[in-house]
This record gives sequence, C-alpha cells and structure tokens, in this order.
Amino acid sequence: MSKCRFEELIDGYLLNKLDTEEAERFEEHFFNCSRCFNQLQQREEVIKAIKEHGPALIREVKPAQSRLQRWADEVVMIFANRQWLVAPTIAAFLIVIFLIFSPFSKEEPPSFVLNGENVLRGQAINLISPIIDVNQPPLYFEWKKQGEDLEYKISLYDSRNELLWSSTTKETVIILPEDIRKKMKPGEKYSWQVKAISSNGILVAVSSRVQFMIKDEN
Amino acid sequence: MSRQFSTNELEQIIRQYRPIIGFTIKKALGPQYPEWEDIVQDVLTQVISKLQKGEFREECSLGTFIYTITKRRIIDCIRQKAKASSEKIEEIASLGGPEEDFLKKERAEIISQTLFKLKPKFREILYLYYYKELSREEVAARLGLSVRQVSERLYYAQKILARSLRKFFPEKNSNFALLRRLKK
Repeated sequence: MSKCRFEELIDGYLLNKLDTEEAERFEEHFFNCSRCFNQLQQREEVIKAIKEHGPALIREVKPAQSRLQRWADEVVMIFANRQWLVAPTIAAFLIVIFLIFSPFSKEEPPSFVLNGENVLRGQAINLISPIIDVNQPPLYFEWKKQGEDLEYKISLYDSRNELLWSSTTKETVIILPEDIRKKMKPGEKYSWQVKAISSNGILVAVSSRVQFMIKDEN
Repeated sequence: MSRQFSTNELEQIIRQYRPIIGFTIKKALGPQYPEWEDIVQDVLTQVISKLQKGEFREECSLGTFIYTITKRRIIDCIRQKAKASSEKIEEIASLGGPEEDFLKKERAEIISQTLFKLKPKFREILYLYYYKELSREEVAARLGLSVRQVSERLYYAQKILARSLRKFFPEKNSNFALLRRLKK
C-alpha cells in the first residue's frame, strides 16, 4: 500500500498542533482511510509511552530490569532472530499439553449455575450495549468477543422474564428485528443474555443477564 | 438514490467504526469525560438508524457520513459541557474488558522496551519532538542537524517501533475490509 499524503498530519493531530480546519479534514480522512487510522492508533501508543518515560529516555542507563525480565528479553530475542524456531516450539508445547490432559481424562464441559443475574462458574461474556436505560427500543445488541470459532446465542426477556426473542450468530453484534422492536414499550423493563457455544456444541461462556428500561416518553 | 444495507453489513459497520468513533470522541472530549462511552453508543445508534432509514445517499463516502454524525454529537456535548456547572469529573474504567486491558499493557510494554533499545540519537529526537513537543526545525537547531536529518531519524524510529508491534501483534484482517467492499 503506497503512503497516504495525510500521514504527515498524524503527529500534528495527536500533539494538537493542527488548526481546527486541518484537524477536521484529517479526522474525516481517517474515517475513510484504514492505513491512517491504524498508524494513528499506533502513534498514539508510542507518544503515550514517550510521555510516560520522559527524561528517562535520554539518560544513557536503561531503566533497571529484574533478572526475570532480562531472561525473558533474551528468550524473546532468540525467537525474534530465529523465527523458524517459533512454530516447532509451539507445536512441541501443544503436544506435551495434549499428552498430559487427553484423551485419558474426560473433561466435563463447564457447568454454569445461574443464580439470578450471577454467573457462579465458568467464563463471563461482557455485554456492551444496551447496558443502561435507553430512549427507544435498541436497534442492536453488542457484546465482547469471547474466543475464536464460537456461536453466540442471544436471548431477550420481558419484565416477567418471559422469552421475547432469541437468535444465534457468529458475530458479536446483532440487529434486533423490527417486528420485535415494535413490541417493546416505553416504561417497560427488559433483560438480555448471551451464551457462547463452541463448534462441538459445548457451552463455554455465559453473560450475566443485564436489565435495561425503555424510558417513558413523559 | 439511497443505499440499502443488509443486516450483516450493518453489524460489520458497528464493529468496524466503533474504535474510530471512540477514538475521535475520546480525543475531543477527553478520556475523563464521564459519558464518552455512552456517546459512542448514541452515535452508533444514530448511524444505524439513519442507514436503515435509507438516509445515506452516497453523496459522500460512508466514512464521511459517519464522521459528520460523530462531529455533530461532539459539538453538542461541548456545548452542553460549557453550559453545565463545574463538577468533579471522575476517571472511569475503560469499556474494554480484562482481555483488552491486558493487550494494551502488553503493547505498551513492547513499545517501552523497543524505545530503550534505540540508539541514543534516536531517543533524543523522540524526546525533543514528542515529549518537549518542539517542531522539527527547533529540534534540528537544538541538535545541530538539518530538518531532513531530523525527519529521517524520526521516520526510522517510527518504523522500528511499528515493526516491533507487528512482530508481536500481527494484524489478521484490516478493520476496513467491509469499507473496501462497500466502495465497489
């Protein structure tokens, strides 16, 4: 991918050195340019690190490192300079894990004991939206990705805890069908929950059930 | 003529534009602004609603359409903020769960390590340009270099840092795969 002419504005934008018009032009640009947005995010991290370290950067002595950290650095350098070692090392590690843990021990799927809104065992899925009261029935539901190759089952309940709608998706966001949205009333409470299911049908994670209310128009 | 989006495309748009909208709002309002995450939600809801109603007529790009909505919302917030009485704004936890925070910390650690592995001449440039926020001309004058040399050293240091992040966090897919498809 060739260099974008807006890239030279990244530093100025992050350091607030652009005038308003330039900054807005650049903002509009990175809404349309993946290269610039990725660079922008990366540069922001770099600038943050530089600002945190400050004058320590120009001192000759590196910040003190523990022995463990130095050892870790050495290991990282070995793999960084000999990338061909990475795959065989990982393969060997996985083989050892496999031999230790299977097929002799049958692993039970994690059991989830749900008590009201609390998940007592197993991984919890973080729900993103809606998690607070809303002005209108939500257009979509969104949650955090839990892992690879999972299917998510979303369930929406009304104030009597009766199932209003459920669906499955491999994405982490789902649009609420219009016919369901129309059933949702202002002043009413609803709750929703997401479960993650692996490709072999095992339940691997559950969210807590999050409640939200559609604010009354009055 | 208004453009129609499938449910799948709308879901992709939410996923892909959330970080960009979040970045822009956080920069404009500050990460300490108590409701910036709610504002991101509002903007996304508005975007999806308008797309569903066919209000995107392809007179501009999708990115520009979404940027316009984001910008308007930011201006509204700034106006509200100016009117509101001063309150102590408490720092709030990020929306990202433990996995995202851990990733951010790992990336920060990689950047720090790479920074200190750079030769002093590069670290000095980074310090003067980003920490002291001097212009390239001022950095050049301070170090007795040409502006071109300053630019080259900056560019080199940025490349090294980007390479170190790519090595440990290779990107699988571009965030804008959908955008490219939608442009066709």
